[in-house]
Amino acid sequence: MRKLCLCIALFSSAASAQIVAPAGDRIVVAHDGVVEIYGSSRGGAPEKHPGVKNANAVIVGPDRVAILDSYANEARLIPGGLIQTAETPIAGIFIGNDLFVLARDASAVERIRPDGSRATVRVAADPAFLREVDGLIYVYSRLDGLMQAIDPVSLRVVRRATIARFASDFETDGRNGYLLMPREALIIAFPLATLVSAARIPAGTVPTDLAMTNRASVISAVRIAVADPSARRVWTIEGAQSVGGAFGRGLVRGLLGLGLYRPGDTDFPSGVDRVLSRGGITVAYDSSTRTLYRVGEKSRVIASAVGPDAFTIIGDRVAFWRDGALRYTP
Amino acid sequence: MNRLTMITLAVVAPVLAQAQSRIASDFEIARMQQQLSGSREFLAQLSGHMNLGDAYTTRSELSAARTRYETALNLASRQRVVTRRQSDLTGYSTATSYAALAQAKLGRGAEAFALLEESMRYSSDSAKSWNLYSSAMNALGRPKKASGAARNAVTIATREVETNPSTGNQLDLAIYQHTLATALIDSGEPADAERLLRSLLAKLQSPAFDGLRRQVEKSESFETYSTARGETSAYVSLVNRANLRLAALLESRGDRSGAKAGYERVLVSRSDDPSALSALARLSTDKERERFFIAAFDANPFSLPLIREYQRHLAGSAPSDIDTRTTGGSVRQALEHSARGRRRAAQTALDTLLQQFPGNETLALLRAETESTGRIPQFLENPRSERPLEPAAAELQQLLDARDRLAPEHRAALDSTLFTSTVSFATADAREGKTALLRGTIGEVPFRFSEPTEFHGQWAAATPLRLIYRILGFSELDGKAALLLEPLGLEPAR
Repeated sequence: MRKLCLCIALFSSAASAQIVAPAGDRIVVAHDGVVEIYGSSRGGAPEKHPGVKNANAVIVGPDRVAILDSYANEARLIPGGLIQTAETPIAGIFIGNDLFVLARDASAVERIRPDGSRATVRVAADPAFLREVDGLIYVYSRLDGLMQAIDPVSLRVVRRATIARFASDFETDGRNGYLLMPREALIIAFPLATLVSAARIPAGTVPTDLAMTNRASVISAVRIAVADPSARRVWTIEGAQSVGGAFGRGLVRGLLGLGLYRPGDTDFPSGVDRVLSRGGITVAYDSSTRTLYRVGEKSRVIASAVGPDAFTIIGDRVAFWRDGALRYTP
Repeated sequence: MNRLTMITLAVVAPVLAQAQSRIASDFEIARMQQQLSGSREFLAQLSGHMNLGDAYTTRSELSAARTRYETALNLASRQRVVTRRQSDLTGYSTATSYAALAQAKLGRGAEAFALLEESMRYSSDSAKSWNLYSSAMNALGRPKKASGAARNAVTIATREVETNPSTGNQLDLAIYQHTLATALIDSGEPADAERLLRSLLAKLQSPAFDGLRRQVEKSESFETYSTARGETSAYVSLVNRANLRLAALLESRGDRSGAKAGYERVLVSRSDDPSALSALARLSTDKERERFFIAAFDANPFSLPLIREYQRHLAGSAPSDIDTRTTGGSVRQALEHSARGRRRAAQTALDTLLQQFPGNETLALLRAETESTGRIPQFLENPRSERPLEPAAAELQQLLDARDRLAPEHRAALDSTLFTSTVSFATADAREGKTALLRGTIGEVPFRFSEPTEFHGQWAAATPLRLIYRILGFSELDGKAALLLEPLGLEPAR
C-alpha cells in the first residue's frame, strides 16, 4: 500500500514572499532564498537549506520538502537540488516520495520521482487547485469548471466532470469536494466518488476562501469556515450530509438535549479573505491590512504586518513569520 | 467613460503628419497631459500616466518613463486600499491588476506576478484581468505565462460574444486575440500568431465594426495608445498594432513583399508611424531607403533599432546632405559624422541634442560611443570571413584606439579578415595609365600603405574610391596614429 502524505500548497501574494508550513511537529519556513526547518521545541536553531528566489508554495512529504517558485518555474527539493518545472508551478503534493506538481500555464500535472524521472498528464486549461484523497489526485480547472481525478500510478485521468466555472477555492473532507463560488455566493458540494453536484449551500456575499473546521461526527456534519471579505465575516456553514445522516444527527442531538446546530459566524473590523483551520483552531487573514485574526465567538487580532502565507497552525499554537523570526501565539 | 483597455505593444509611437518638426509622441504626450489635468478619476489618471510612461520609453527618456510608471503604481496601490475599504472586490481586483502592470513596466517581475495572482483570486472569470495578466507577462519577457493568460482571456471573451455580440464585446475579443498573438510570437509559435492576426484584422474590417469606423472617421482619430480609453481609441490602436505585428511576422519569415504591403497599410491610417517607416527603410530599394529613413527619424529620432539600422546603412553608402532643422535630421547628422570618423563633430552634435533632451538615454549612449574607450571593435570579437567587411569609420577609430590592447586572437582575426571602405587619397601620382597611391583617410581615420603602390587606371586624389584591403597593423602619419593597410583592389565608389 502506498503511503499517503500530508499536502500543503499555499500560495503567496507578497513580493518577497515568506511561507510557513507545518511538517509533522516541525515547521518549514521559506523566505529570502533560504529554507529553515524548525524543530518542535522553541528556541532551537533551525536547519538551513538553500531555497528559491521567490517562494510561492511549500510542499511537505514524508521524507522530503519541495519549495516552488511559480515565476521562475523552479522547485527546490530538500534533500535534492534545484530543478526546472513546467510553466508556472502553483501547487503540489507528495505521494510517497513522488512529487506531483501542478503547472498552471502548461495545463499539466508533472510527476517527479526521486531518481529524477518525470512524466506528465495534461489537464484542462487554467488548473488552479490540486488535492489528494484516497490515492487519487483531484485537479480543478477554473475555465471549464472541470474536476479531474488522476491515478498517480498510471497518470491517467480516471474520472472527470464539469461542475461549475471559476471557483475561488476547492477543498475536501475526505468524502466530498467543496467548490466555493464567489459570484454566486455559494458552496457546491459533490461526492468525490461521483463528481456529481449534490448540494448548493448559500455562503455569504463574496466568499473567497474556505477551510474544513471539523470532520463529520455522530452529532454534527462537517463544518466549513468561509472567508467573506465583502461582508467582513467568516461564515461557519455545515457541509454536505445525506438525508439519513442529517436525520440521525438530529436524533442524537435531541437525545442529548443539544437542539439543532446553529452555526456561529464571526465579524471582523476589515475584510478577511483567507481562512485556515486545523486541530480545532481557526484563523483568518486580511491581505489588505496584513492582519492575522483568531476566529472564535469574537475575532481577536493575533498579529499584524504578517505576509499572506507566513502563518500556520501547529498543535495548539499559531506560528507566524515576522521581522525575520518565527513567532508563536502564547 | 470607464472603458479602459490594455493593448499589448512593442512600444511604438506615432506623430502628427502635419507636424513634421515634432517628434512622433509629442501629440500623444500633450493629449495625456491634458487628460491628467482634466480628470481626477482613477482610470483617467492611471491610463494617462501609463501612456506617458510608454511614450517616454519610445523616446528613450527612461527616467521620465519610470517616474510615470511609479506614479501609476502609487495611484493603483491607493485605489486598492480604497476599494477594499468599500468592499468593492471587483474594483480591488482591477486596481491590483493595474498595480501589477505598473510593476511589470518597472521591470519588477516577482512583485508583478504576486499582484497578478492576488487579483486572480477575485477575478479568474474576467477576460480583462487575464488580458492585463498577459500584458504584464509580455512586458516582462515571460511569453509562456503570457500566452496561458491570454488564452484564458480569449476563451472567456468568446463566450461573452456568443451571449452578447455587441460591438464592445467583439472589440474586447479582438484585443485579447492580439495580446495572445503577441505572446505566441514571443513563444516561438508564429504560424498560430499569423492565423490569429489575419483573422482579427479581417474581423476588424467587417461590417460588425462599420459604426465604429464611422466614428473614427468623424472624429478623425489617429492617435494610438497602449492603455486605450473608449472604443474609438481602442479600435484605432488595435488596427495599427495588429497590422504592424502581422507585417513584422511576414518580414521575419522572409515574405518581404507581404511585409512591405502590411507596413504600407499602417501608413494609410498613420502616415508617420515610426515603426512602419523604419521597417520600410529596411525593406526598400536604395532609392527609396533614404526617404523612409528621413521620415522614420522625424517620427522617432531616438529609436535604437532604427539608429542601428541607419548605422549599417551609412557604412555602405556615400555621404549625403542632411537637413538638420528637425531633431531627426540632427540625430542623423551626428550618426553621419560618427560613421565617417568625424568624432569631434559627432560629439558636438550630440552635446547640442543632449542639451535639448537631457534625460535621453539613446543620445547618452551614442555620446558614450564616440568617446575613445579603447574597446575592441565588434568585428574582432566576432570575426567573419565570407566576404569583405565594411567597418564604419568609427569602428576603425576604435581599432586604432585599442591598438595596444589587442590580444593574439584579435590579431589573428585581423590577419584573416578582408575589409572594404570608401576612401579618399591625399595624393595621387598618375602616369602611363597607372596611379601610385600611398596615404589617405577613411572618413577621418588616417591610413597608409607600407610603400607607394601602383594601381592600373587613372585615379584622382580627394575623390571617394572603394578600397579592398587587409589591416597589417598600425603606423603614424603626421604625428598621429594611422592604420597600416595592404591594398588588394581599388574601384570607383558606388
